Amino acid sequence: MKLISNKKKENYTVIIGSGRLGSGLANALSDDGANVMIIDSDKNSFRKLSPSFGGLTLLGDATDIDVLHEAQAEKATAIVAVTDNDNTNIMIAQMVKELFKKERVIIRLYDPELECVYGEHGIDTICPAVLSAKEINRLLISGNKEKK
Amino acid sequence: MKRALLIGSFNKARSLAVSLIKKGYAVTAINNNYRDCLILAEIDSLNVINGDGSIPFVLEEANATEADIAVALTQRDDDNLLICELCKKKFRVKKTVALVNDPKKTEFFYKMGIDSVVCAVNAITNIIEQQAFLDGIAALIPIGEARVSIAEVPITESAPVAGKRLKEINLPKEVIIGCILRGEKSMIPRGDTRILAGDMLVLISSDKQEMAAIKELTGRI
Repeated sequence: MKLISNKKKENYTVIIGSGRLGSGLANALSDDGANVMIIDSDKNSFRKLSPSFGGLTLLGDATDIDVLHEAQAEKATAIVAVTDNDNTNIMIAQMVKELFKKERVIIRLYDPELECVYGEHGIDTICPAVLSAKEINRLLISGNKEKK
Repeated sequence: MKRALLIGSFNKARSLAVSLIKKGYAVTAINNNYRDCLILAEIDSLNVINGDGSIPFVLEEANATEADIAVALTQRDDDNLLICELCKKKFRVKKTVALVNDPKKTEFFYKMGIDSVVCAVNAITNIIEQQAFLDGIAALIPIGEARVSIAEVPITESAPVAGKRLKEINLPKEVIIGCILRGEKSMIPRGDTRILAGDMLVLISSDKQEMAAIKELTGRI
């Protein structure tokens, strides 16, 4: 913990959920030299982290306020909740917004319909279905153009 | 007629539904287990919907906009929070009640705008504690988020207060004897009322003073 705060205080990201997205993001951030903490409740999930991963891992349930304290969420510049459960992500986001007063909170949501719940809290959301649809649409349109 | 929406949990939803229907509520239960739904559907005049209550269209199907009260009873805190927020913000339900497992989240749930947060773990451990350690009390009912409690205290012949006047008893400040049940009669006591063996005292206490009061009255804990 001390190493982190000495090295680069201005950039500390806490990632919650070490799935494909979470671990991939953690690897990328770590390669860029950023300070990363990744939390997951299953220690096998950390296998997805690359051998060169230089950040910290924390085994625990991030919906528990004590675990968030342990991860020093209050010092984080950004918190990213990317577990595979939308409801969990929303609750974590609201908890860090409300209890830790974090500005930068990003979550992944499978269901874009839940926006009315978190909308007013200023939480940034990534919705894979919407992004994929846009991208596929873009590919289709560019494909059509090429044909012409 | 008031409308209540119960989301999740089979056993809790079942007994709550029966009791609310008796009180004249129109009750709808949402449960994501099909078998549980079949059993719930056997309750007279209970509407049952099979689905995940944290999905907006399931709530819509359950006519959540018409509901006066929504109660989220699922196992997971995050689901309960989301269900209540959906009911509140999307469907404008007047009153939302959430069950919470983690006592540390109670305050956070209130901050998120849920009207009533019930911590099952706290309630259950309180009850177990009473049952295990207090033989002297017939019943202890916590109210106002367990800040105040109402207890029924039976007075036996061996109790130190039997035969004494109320003003002679040294009760803690935060406790009053609200009522004395004597046989078929009930009376509101005054300072010169005498407590007799066989009486049942109804005690109202705040600030966790009930233990001290019960000890004073019965001489044991």
